Amino acid sequence: MANSFEFTQPRDVAEALDALAQPGRVMPMAGGTNIMVNMKRAPLEADLVVDLTRLEELMPISAANGTIRMGAGVSFARLLEWQPGGALEGLMKPMCIAFAGPLIRNLATAGGNICDASAAADISPPLLALDATVELDSAAGGIRTLPLPEFFLGVRRTARRPDELLTAVEFPCPAADERWFYYKLGKRKADAISIVSIAMTVKLVQGRVERARIALGAVAPVAMHARETENLLQGEPLNEVTIGAAAATAAREARPIDDFRATGAYRRQMVETLVKRGLNHIAQQDK
Amino acid sequence: MKKQALNFTVNKQQESIQVTPRTRLLDALRLDLGLIGTKEGCGTGDCGSCTVLLDGNAVNSCMVLALQAEGRDVTTIEGLGEPGILDPVQQAMVRSGGIQCGFCTPGMVLSLKGLFDGNPNPSEEDVRIAVSSNLCRCTGYTKIFDAAQALSEGSLQAQAADGNDDAIGARMVRTDAVEKVTGGAVYAEDIQLPRMIYGALVRSTHAHARILSVDTTGALKLPGVKAVVTGRDIDMGYYGYELHDQRVFALEKARYLGEPIAAVAAVTADIAREAASLVKVEYEELPAVFDPEEAMSPDAPLVHDEPNAYQFDWESERKGNLCYRLEVGEGDVAQGFAEADEVVEGTYHTPEAHAGAIEPHSATAMADPGGRITIWTTTQKPFAVRSYLARALERKISSFKVIPTHIGGGFGGKLYPVLEPYVVLLAERSGLPVQMTLSRDEEMATAALLRHPSKVTIKTGVRKDGALVAQQVRMLFNTGAYGPYGPNTAALGSLMAGGPYRIPNLDITGLVTYSNNVPKGSIRCPSGPQMAFAVETHMEKVARAVGMDGLAFRLKNAWDNGDTTCTGQVLEAVSIKECLKKAAAAVDWDETCPPGTGKGLACNWWVSGTWGTQTLLETNEDATFRLISGCVDMGTGGMTSSVLQMAAAGLGVPAESIQLVRGDTDTLPWDHGHGGSRMTFTIARSAYEAAQDLKQQLLEEAAGQLEAAVDDMVLENGRIFVRGDRSNSVALAQICYNRHKKHGGPMIGVSSILDDAPPTTKPHPIGAFPAPSFCAHAVELSVDDDTGEIAVTRYAAAHDVGKAINPTGCEGQIEGGVAMGLGLAMMEELREVNGKVLNPSFADYLLVSAEDMPPMQTILVEQPAVEGPMGVKGVGEPPIAPPTGAVANALADALDVDVQRLPLTPEQVSTLIATRTHGQ
Ligand SMILES: Cc1cc2nc3c(=O)[nH]c(=O)nc-3n(C[C@H](O)[C@H](O)[C@H](O)COP(=O)(O)OP(=O)(O)OC[C@H]3O[C@@H](n4cnc5c(N)ncnc54)[C@H](O)[C@@H]3O)c2cc1C
Ligand code: FES
Ligand code: FES
Repeated sequence: MANSFEFTQPRDVAEALDALAQPGRVMPMAGGTNIMVNMKRAPLEADLVVDLTRLEELMPISAANGTIRMGAGVSFARLLEWQPGGALEGLMKPMCIAFAGPLIRNLATAGGNICDASAAADISPPLLALDATVELDSAAGGIRTLPLPEFFLGVRRTARRPDELLTAVEFPCPAADERWFYYKLGKRKADAISIVSIAMTVKLVQGRVERARIALGAVAPVAMHARETENLLQGEPLNEVTIGAAAATAAREARPIDDFRATGAYRRQMVETLVKRGLNHIAQQDK
Repeated sequence: MKKQALNFTVNKQQESIQVTPRTRLLDALRLDLGLIGTKEGCGTGDCGSCTVLLDGNAVNSCMVLALQAEGRDVTTIEGLGEPGILDPVQQAMVRSGGIQCGFCTPGMVLSLKGLFDGNPNPSEEDVRIAVSSNLCRCTGYTKIFDAAQALSEGSLQAQAADGNDDAIGARMVRTDAVEKVTGGAVYAEDIQLPRMIYGALVRSTHAHARILSVDTTGALKLPGVKAVVTGRDIDMGYYGYELHDQRVFALEKARYLGEPIAAVAAVTADIAREAASLVKVEYEELPAVFDPEEAMSPDAPLVHDEPNAYQFDWESERKGNLCYRLEVGEGDVAQGFAEADEVVEGTYHTPEAHAGAIEPHSATAMADPGGRITIWTTTQKPFAVRSYLARALERKISSFKVIPTHIGGGFGGKLYPVLEPYVVLLAERSGLPVQMTLSRDEEMATAALLRHPSKVTIKTGVRKDGALVAQQVRMLFNTGAYGPYGPNTAALGSLMAGGPYRIPNLDITGLVTYSNNVPKGSIRCPSGPQMAFAVETHMEKVARAVGMDGLAFRLKNAWDNGDTTCTGQVLEAVSIKECLKKAAAAVDWDETCPPGTGKGLACNWWVSGTWGTQTLLETNEDATFRLISGCVDMGTGGMTSSVLQMAAAGLGVPAESIQLVRGDTDTLPWDHGHGGSRMTFTIARSAYEAAQDLKQQLLEEAAGQLEAAVDDMVLENGRIFVRGDRSNSVALAQICYNRHKKHGGPMIGVSSILDDAPPTTKPHPIGAFPAPSFCAHAVELSVDDDTGEIAVTRYAAAHDVGKAINPTGCEGQIEGGVAMGLGLAMMEELREVNGKVLNPSFADYLLVSAEDMPPMQTILVEQPAVEGPMGVKGVGEPPIAPPTGAVANALADALDVDVQRLPLTPEQVSTLIATRTHGQ
């Protein structure tokens, strides 16, 4: 039962992939802010821990050909400083401010948040709303990409194979007139796990919804798109009727559970409330 | 596990050490490098007490593997400033009073350091965010913001000018501030002894079960295990506070989930935990009871088969699961209700809450071969530790020596033995020093000293003009599996059940039930926040029923001098109206609130001390002095500021010439312990009396030497003069020197204070609140109608402290108490379902963070108490009570709802909003 694992600190992605290909239980470790909590409570289920903190290749955020590429090793502190403007900043900045507190933000990485795949992971709703894909790399299989919804399989389960490293997330750079909304509801101002979080992007063309993305956190086993709601809004103007219908649909789509943070009923009600608030906000956002 | 080399820079020094892959950076710093200023409050990233700078960025060192720090630069608290010179951040914290227990301080300072290194002029918002991961349970953050403000404005020097004055009423800097801000203060877990091993507990996995067998063979076989102890192989007696119903280990049956059944010790804490899991306990599960009302039904499972067999120092009916019942009252409530114009009823619930000290329980014991045992522990009551141990282990009190360490926050959670018996037994069994520290999860789930959950039903009769005529109160406290503090909680509660109001007809019943829940304790102002919530929320409802404003209603009914309490205590130095008026004015009470916002008021009264103590003040040869008291300081700073200020005033010397002796139960005079708001009221008063006694002796000595009358002696600036003749004088130092040299020893001033409460007329186990203190809080908040989120926008707390010996200390207690009370009002709730605590962590049991703390107005009212030399009243506990009622009333004002339940989480508020909408 004792914690007996080995530790390796690869210098680059190639070395890391080799380490991940080792037999036994191999655990990549980035900021450690999920892993160390687990290790405090029970021995780590790992024979080898692969430290990712030295992999410079995972650190940059870059933009090319209309695509944003965010390295898996980007910390939330770094993400908070990022000022891309528009919908991107509109979603990421409040998410980062609401993410844990400054100490954890200095350690925790985007990649760790995605791979931990908690239903309440704060980065998921903005990334879903931005149509992100994840990039996985392995010594055996090389690079593959997956749309984020396909990466999340279930409660803390992902499509990542044990030998794969999450290297980056990519998403199309939102258009300048993309509208957005973000809200995280917690029990405390700083450092509180989400009761519900919501991220939206909407493209309005001549007053009608051309494309809507409504992503919800902490209301289902994994962060989710409110697909039906998104489809319902397609081609519609944003008015009291459509917004009311969308909010009700989203509440129906959510599959929240009861826990000590909140009841499922309250979460569902908050989905309705926040979708309504978000769409109203978006309808009025000046462009 | 194989060790690997780690090379890194720590505090500008190159370090090369060997660590295992699982070693955390926190452990490498504390254990391998001896940098004990880095603290572990949780180990799960939630408290920030382990903060260090890693390449200049503040991070939690419990979240980093030591090997991840290879080649990197680490700064710990020990790396700030230069020897003898504090870093400006440290200076600011020392001077502002931002340090109380000091456990959060190193982390807090490093977070501020990280901020100021990158931004010398941060805004208040920047500061709040920068320290929002650093939980502080003591200060309410306000003085920490002040420290940052002073730094950012560069007003540090100005602050210094008046920072060191130590007269009565001056903001003397507590004498342990530097020790704490540099990380040098030694707390319980910092004790390191040669060959020390570590303990762990085997805990019941059932809430109620017969224990059929305990098999320790597996544990004993594990390499590294040095001792295993169970209840079957030691002598155990019953111990408790008033009620002695608990033993060290569950023997025939376990009464709550997590109750200790055995203890093990091994060479590492990991092995000890593993060994604990190898002890096989066979159970026969029994039906359990958790709800207090159900517990009182005749067919409920019995938690204690023979509750009357226990020694109980008070009187009470005790049968079934009824642990304690108390009744007190006056007049005739039936008659009162008949005379009333309106009768208003309500029922109010508060949840279980945790003391939430950032430092977990930790204790270390060493047994000498002669049979004497030394215990280092974080306790508010070192002398009581001895007597609890003596009863629990059937020994003599004198067989134990307790060395109190610095306490990283007590709040009542460290009044009672938690780990001491186990380290003692394991140290004896193993022949080695044994240390045991609770993990944060264990601390929250099983440390078993929680605030009692309450259900309070109130029926009040009022006349149209707002005069209260009758009140009936039924209080129900669920004390869990053992009731060391249940009776006391109900008895204290009964004194608040009528509020600080004149009510001619009162009928109060207090009920305490056993259940298979985790046992409850005596947390800061026990029953105060519960009663302030129930009574003050109810009073608002009563005021509304007769169409009166809450302030006017309270002013009409509040006590005046000469009024009597339900036990017949005649009240003096009553200041409740002044507190109410000042608090209300501070939030512009008369201005109406815009929609979605509301204001609320709540007031309360509470005891100052006392219990017995003894203080000695002894001369040194050079006219410096040793202040000798057995009272420890749980962090408030009373011992290291106001007690010294009072001693200095009593003697007529500067406080800096008086050295506080830190000792142990072998060397210090007996004291009851730190709790009950007694530090400045009782201990400082005793110090003052001891000082006066010593002064008299010094003056007599001088009178002899100067050949003049004692009454003509004047002590000033270190010399004693004959009144009217300055040339005829002798230096204090000369008197002291002569005395030591010629007569072989010091002069000693002595004071013994015994517990003397004001008289009462009704039978009641507590009777009166000596030198009662009064307070009122006012709050303004806004509510998000959609989500139920509350934002507190203004907060004012007016407290009658009698006399503010050290205003910084008083304010610190009030601000910290308000933070705690706001937590109880808005977020704190330990959720126990079928005896299992669902949220035993600071991630899920939320304390108020720096970002939640509203702008505070702290108002000190000084209506001197009749008792004591300066008229001091206690201020340690009272501030935690009114926030529950004030917030509930502000919410009721904003939403026009009846608040019946705490905490007011967004969901709870949203439920209230829903009832209102449906009602309309
Ligand atoms: C006090 C505290 C507060 C928190 N608050 C929040 C919050 O508000 N919101 C929130 O969403 N989360 C929160 N968390 C959870 C945690 O901080 C985040 O999930 C964080 O993003 C994890 O990142 P990390 O780099 O620390 O991950 P790690 O702990 O290093 O890893 C997490 C998981 O991801 C895997 N992994 C990491 N990187 C990779 C990679 N590149 N490729 C493959 N696998 C990888 C690891 O093997 C592990 O399974 C909090 C945690 C703590 C301790
Ligand atoms: S001990 Fe590291 S955050 Fe609490
Ligand atoms: S001083 Fe901050 S926790 Fe005690």
